Amino acid sequence: MYLYVYDESVQGQRFERELALIETRLTDLGISGKIARLALFRDAEELIRDEVRRGTKTVVAVGNDQTLRKVMDAVADPAIVIAIIPLGPGNNIADILGIPQGVAACDVLSARLVEELDLGSVNGMRFLHMVTATGVAPVCTCEGSFSITPVCKSTIEIRNLVQSDDLGAADPTDGKLEFVMRTPRRSWLIKTVDALTKLPFTHLQLKSADTMSLLVDGEQLQGTEFDIKILPKQIRIVTGKDRKYV
Amino acid sequence: MTFGISSMAKHNGEETVIAHGVRVEGEFNSEGNVVIEGDVQGVIRIAGDLKVGEASKIAADVTAANAIVAGEIRGNLSVAGKLELLATSKIIGDVAAETISVLAGAQVNGRITMDGTAGLKSKKKEELEVE
Repeated sequence: MYLYVYDESVQGQRFERELALIETRLTDLGISGKIARLALFRDAEELIRDEVRRGTKTVVAVGNDQTLRKVMDAVADPAIVIAIIPLGPGNNIADILGIPQGVAACDVLSARLVEELDLGSVNGMRFLHMVTATGVAPVCTCEGSFSITPVCKSTIEIRNLVQSDDLGAADPTDGKLEFVMRTPRRSWLIKTVDALTKLPFTHLQLKSADTMSLLVDGEQLQGTEFDIKILPKQIRIVTGKDRKYV
Repeated sequence: MTFGISSMAKHNGEETVIAHGVRVEGEFNSEGNVVIEGDVQGVIRIAGDLKVGEASKIAADVTAANAIVAGEIRGNLSVAGKLELLATSKIIGDVAAETISVLAGAQVNGRITMDGTAGLKSKKKEELEVE
């Protein structure tokens, strides 16, 4: 049984036609289901949890990364399959998962290539993609055995599901998160280049005298201490053949 | 042959990289290959290969499978396989390795052992620590 969660952002006139096409295609493929429309004063978590209690086995976020995040927050049971039909901008995660925009995503959903992926957790807040912090110089204690400290303010990334870039791709199935620190340094010209530190880890603590601001899958989290760990194989998610991670 | 930042900055394929401008303190353990260009203090245990950059300063006992050193190590260095000491390298401590290659200009202030027991020694040490 499928539950389709329509984000508030896709309920306007702009996506009316695309949604109609999606609904027709889902019916053609035999995977239509109940539709839940998110609204400003409607508690998404309660709405989704109620439907899961009633027997929903697949929850599909229709919208963007933020919609997927709301679905992930509501679905605590790793047995439930999560999917996304990306509509509009802000669909970085769907892109990495190899899910095309709009109606084309229905066929990928129907193919049901389900992967079990790791999640990360920052002070109990789960994330699928990555965490970033810019202009920070915290003491980073890794696995409780050694600390890493930058000599100047740096950019920190904690990567779980990231497409291949200059550092390679982060593998969300390896049971590890990837710590990346970009420390600016002057080259022999005036130009500043980043020195890159990277290492895999399962548990990391960030401590800073000043308040730091972390972007956790696009959501802001502030504080001076953060406990970051891997949650292995915590999510079952539909992916496409054209996925961009390892 | 030079082995400085320019050649070591190509991180692709390396599992762990400690960059210049970063300080590591404590027991640094890694199961894969490691490039160190920053400063490390404590103990380093690497199951894979180690590269130490020219600007790197390490104050630690180091064990690795194979190693290429261009920087400074103050501590004992134990390599199970091949150790390459480049022209800019400086080791203040004892060195043990299966095979060693030393370029002109490299400094070693300590005892060099090549009896093929470097890997065994580090393993035994780890076993004792576990017990």
